[in-house]
Amino acid sequence: MDTLNNFINGTIALFGDPLGVLIFFGGVIGGMLFGAIPGVSMLTLAAILLPFTAHLSPEHGIMLFSVIYCTGVYGGAITAILFNIPGSPENAPTAFDGYPMTQKGQAGKAVGAAVMCSAIGGTVSAVIMMIATAPIASWAISAFGPPEIFALVFFGLAVASSVGARTFWKGWLSILLGLLIAVVGLDPVGGIERWDFGMPYLLAGIHFIPTILGFFAVSEVLIQVEKKAKGSYKAPKLSVDFPSLAELFSQKIAVIRSIIIGFFCGILPGIGATLAAFMGYNEAVRWSKDRKEFGTGKMEGVVSSETANNAATGAAMIPLLALGLPGGALTAMMVGVFQMHDMEPGPLVFLNSADLVWVVFSAMFFANLSILLIGYLETKTIINLLRIPFQFLAPLILLLATVGAYAVRGLPIDIVVMFVAGIVGFFLRRSGYSVAGIVLGLILGRIGEQTFAQAMQMLHFEWLGFISRPIALTLIIAGILTLFSSIYSSFFKKPT
Amino acid sequence: MNFTKYLTSGLLACGMTLVSNVSFAACATDSLPNSLAGPNGFPERALTMIVPYGPAGGSGQVAQAMAQAVTELTEVSINRDHKPGGSGTVGMTAYMALPSDGYSVLEHIDDASSAHALDSSKPNPASDLIPLVISQITFSQIFIRTNEDRFTDWNSFVEWVKAQNGKATIANVSKEGSMERVTMKAISDATGISIQQISFDKGAPRYGALAGGQVDALFEQPGDVRKFLDAGTFKPILTILPEAPSAFPDVPALSDAGLDFEPLYRFRGFYVHKDAPADRVEWLQWAFQKAYCEQSYQDFNKSKFMHLIESFRDTEGARSLISTTIDQYRNVYKEMGLDVK
Repeated sequence: MDTLNNFINGTIALFGDPLGVLIFFGGVIGGMLFGAIPGVSMLTLAAILLPFTAHLSPEHGIMLFSVIYCTGVYGGAITAILFNIPGSPENAPTAFDGYPMTQKGQAGKAVGAAVMCSAIGGTVSAVIMMIATAPIASWAISAFGPPEIFALVFFGLAVASSVGARTFWKGWLSILLGLLIAVVGLDPVGGIERWDFGMPYLLAGIHFIPTILGFFAVSEVLIQVEKKAKGSYKAPKLSVDFPSLAELFSQKIAVIRSIIIGFFCGILPGIGATLAAFMGYNEAVRWSKDRKEFGTGKMEGVVSSETANNAATGAAMIPLLALGLPGGALTAMMVGVFQMHDMEPGPLVFLNSADLVWVVFSAMFFANLSILLIGYLETKTIINLLRIPFQFLAPLILLLATVGAYAVRGLPIDIVVMFVAGIVGFFLRRSGYSVAGIVLGLILGRIGEQTFAQAMQMLHFEWLGFISRPIALTLIIAGILTLFSSIYSSFFKKPT
Repeated sequence: MNFTKYLTSGLLACGMTLVSNVSFAACATDSLPNSLAGPNGFPERALTMIVPYGPAGGSGQVAQAMAQAVTELTEVSINRDHKPGGSGTVGMTAYMALPSDGYSVLEHIDDASSAHALDSSKPNPASDLIPLVISQITFSQIFIRTNEDRFTDWNSFVEWVKAQNGKATIANVSKEGSMERVTMKAISDATGISIQQISFDKGAPRYGALAGGQVDALFEQPGDVRKFLDAGTFKPILTILPEAPSAFPDVPALSDAGLDFEPLYRFRGFYVHKDAPADRVEWLQWAFQKAYCEQSYQDFNKSKFMHLIESFRDTEGARSLISTTIDQYRNVYKEMGLDVK
């Protein structure tokens, strides 16, 4: 009852204040817009707004950032689905099936599924956040250390081998290429310089946003250009049909599974929505009877990715508010907002600033719900961009991608990386390799290498130390079984 | 010569000025004029501040606070351009490529000094740049969980670590040649303990590792974990300063713990190209040094425990601190057998 009362009071405080309402809707729309523009993500908006929050009340400042977080994670799904340009890394798996759906004339259904599932994932996550922030946070940081996170990454990579590639072996080669790219730059534990070829910029590694833009957007433009040259190009059929209730209901298992996965990834400090989206997608593939259909325009792919990444938003607030541990860049900026008002997130926030906490909880709940309404309107309007003829759309996509690649760090080398990735991706896709696997290897490789090195230090370089940690052991066994099952299938099962 | 003697001889000069238990009634730059006209209308447009780290970390926050203070003082806008990566190398490289016209400044930390100490081909912040101001100097501490029952203070921690035969763990940023690794080596040598350092490059997983019991202790600066101290989650058991500062009177400092080495400090400051026009540099020195005493910046530093030891260095003071630090690191690296170039 206390929770409900607190929620009602938080809601009254949120919507009983005209300035609060204005900030709430400004955050909802701003998050969606900035989330949709590659490179210029919700983080850019948050960084711009950070100094101004000093002039807002703490409630308004924190609420604004939490709302931007919810809607920004969703915003990037639109460009991922319509143009194969993920607005943010956490939307990359959405493009795996979202863009093929657009090509099949199902853009409306893909965007509709993204809208619905982002809202559901985020709202459920917000409710769990309200009910059990403190105990969940304590459990997560106690149960999941570097060995467990490494095991989770290993499991994720084992599952991912079947995503998007023509054969199992090409899938693994794609992932290994991603892992290879991930080792460029300083090693994450000892700071040893690797593969930098004497170029200081490479010490920071190959950034995954230009890589994603290259492998997805640029390579796609090249493929369509080739089709145009050969006369086989077909413009995507425009469709603004939302998925039917029956279609959405048929995705219930995928939604529940992705909520659990997304929430779970979100509460781990430093992991967050990107891993959540990839893991959600991977598990959808693993549990599906129609694995081969993933990557060709299967709605379950969009549903799994978008549910999981939004489910991570509420979860990421749990370690932030309960323990003062930000899960990602945006929640880290929220710490800055707290500090500007002489406050620190952590256990004392619940004692000293309970009103603020419940305004934020309420705002996140309603921000996720508002994705439904604004997302619906957005679907009916933005999809019309597909009416633009390809000869105009292609340069627009390349321009947008170039701006996005440069905007991440303001480094020209990121534009070069994007175009190289685009050209390499073009040839790899023609040969049946998986650009999704490469990107997955790149993103999970960084996390995996770091946590592996930390785990080995913690376990005093004894491999058998993993056995003494039940969660890590379970995940590693699951990964090994998945791996052998895939190898067995590649040798002994006929392609369907 | 042994390792601790290097440390003892190295930073003593600047270390003595970082005396704890000193109250600073007047601000360091109160004697500077309250306003100073820029040469020939400089600056005619906004300044750019290159920040080699992300906006949310300690460097991002000090850059934001200093930019705000300079703007409050001069009404000149400062655009912060974050170029994270490579432990500050990317931002430094990007900055060195910008025009030396005084319109761009660089924020950097002591990592730039240790990087130059290890590899002299990397820019020396004291001579390849002009330090405008060092605005944060802080010390480190060893923290444990408050509800820890295996050990409760420094002495019992040392005894417990010795009994673990190298199995005890401490979270820090233990990259090769880092201040943390160098300091931990000094502590290990002085106490005879062997402790496994676990490197976490981001704060949240590092603090989570201690809070969640994944590691036994944490090496950190007190301002970065203030919320955990205020919440009673962590407690310091050793202050890596010669004497205990006023905010931590009951926590043993190096002299109390019988550790005979001079500590290394974490410092953050602001720089401009050495070839920038001298009159513009002079104005920038005034603006950044005077902004240090703006109320908003002082409040910020206080919230980060940066008032416990004198955080201010002007250009010459900064050069002295950086040069001494580089010498000290270089000696320690040779002692550690690292390849000093």
